Amino acid sequence: MFKKALLALPVAMAVGAAAQAGEWQDPNDVLQELLENNPDSDYLHQSEMNVMMMPDNPALWLVDEGEELFHAKRGPNNASLEGCDFGKGPGELEGAYVELPRYFDDVGKVMDFEQRLVHCMKELQGFTSDDSAVGKRHGSGSDIMKLTTYIAHQSSGMEWNPPLDHPEEQAMRDAGEKLFYRRGGAMDFNCASCHGDVGKQIRASVLPNVDTGPEWTKAVSWPAHRAGQDNVRSQNHRIRGCVWQMRHAGIKPDSPANTALISFWNDAARGEAAILPDLKR
Amino acid sequence: MFKKNAVAAGMAAFASVALTAGCAVADGSKGSDADISEMSADELAEHLIFETDSFRDQEMQEGGDWADRMTQDELQQACSMKGDPDGETAGEVVAMARASYEAPENLELGDWRKGAELADSGYGYRMGHKNDDHSQRDPGGNCYNCHVFDPEVSEQGTIGPSLENYGANRGDGEAVRRYVHEVISNPHQYFPCTQMPRFRDGKEQLLTDEQISHIMAYLLDPESPVNN
Repeated sequence: MFKKALLALPVAMAVGAAAQAGEWQDPNDVLQELLENNPDSDYLHQSEMNVMMMPDNPALWLVDEGEELFHAKRGPNNASLEGCDFGKGPGELEGAYVELPRYFDDVGKVMDFEQRLVHCMKELQGFTSDDSAVGKRHGSGSDIMKLTTYIAHQSSGMEWNPPLDHPEEQAMRDAGEKLFYRRGGAMDFNCASCHGDVGKQIRASVLPNVDTGPEWTKAVSWPAHRAGQDNVRSQNHRIRGCVWQMRHAGIKPDSPANTALISFWNDAARGEAAILPDLKR
Repeated sequence: MFKKNAVAAGMAAFASVALTAGCAVADGSKGSDADISEMSADELAEHLIFETDSFRDQEMQEGGDWADRMTQDELQQACSMKGDPDGETAGEVVAMARASYEAPENLELGDWRKGAELADSGYGYRMGHKNDDHSQRDPGGNCYNCHVFDPEVSEQGTIGPSLENYGANRGDGEAVRRYVHEVISNPHQYFPCTQMPRFRDGKEQLLTDEQISHIMAYLLDPESPVNN
């Protein structure tokens, strides 16, 4: 059960010596603090129901399932994911999720979280793209979403802090910003069409503003249970949905354009505590 | 879409130059075939779109492929900044928009009921994991996503201004009809770099002339719930 994971974490945090911006916190505590500190944000306060449900966030069930999957010997190579390096060293998960995307020497490029996870499942466990373990990216029942939720949970309450020291990290973040503001597609939209103003609505949904840190950290805090879809969703799922609504062409996961967008997203939330997992409308 | 061919050719040429230049300096790079840190942010953004297999290879509803869809026309390029355009850019965009506008043959109002349906419909032009099939259902105008028309209708957006009582406040004379047609067709004539799509810009036509007449009726007809 997920209570086990919650108890184990503070111990791991105390032992881990690496500097990390912010301590691990329960995602509901992170949200409550955010709401208290930002009483005027229409975006943050739009759903009382979702705030009430947060302590019983269905996404927390995926944490336990993901933990089991992470440690299980699986795939053609009968290997666990304990050797997977998300940037903090093999198997070091505390704080890893909020410091992605980053440049990885072993592949010579910047990777986002899901791309790195898939990379490890292929390289360490021997899965191929045809295996549902890596092919099925969406839905609470997918291995990818269980693993994502478990791994992201190890960074809850920590501040978004994607590294920009490597020239390619900076380049991808800067190109991601260009993509964010690039008008295009059948209806001339860019990301700022919806996320450039504060407190505006698309239909009944209040939209988060990219320049307002406390709103943007919630906006990019995926995985999150989406109440309206009754599934836990990822950053990639949000990007896919936005780009689809924007009437651009269909963006692919694990692609450089997708990674660049996430580099800009997570940088725009820099210094704000992450809610992992979150619960959204 | 039809509007973009000249710019498309230019961008494709640019992108291939950028890639070649990238390859020349990327010797020994393990992961990519181009040294991305050597490019400007603008060059890299174009490179990521057109040269890295980041988009699904699909035919678009309007004809053309994913790359045509992602190729910017002149107005889209001019408006790709953060925040509002500076005065010079705004003037250029207004001039571009006016140059591409074609007045319709007539400005008669259609059926406001059909206009209300079109204003409510978000169908059309979506591509990727699910594709809108225009042979099954006509594309709508997406208007409710951003505008309040009728306070009796719930779930209308606020990105654009409220249009409640639009006709009641302005009448439905010829000057008003002309203006409304101009704004629906290409709003950049009056609001340079607005977030609103161009629904009838030169050869590009997201809504037919008849559909636009229905939406104009929804806004201007004295019988329409927008005005009551």
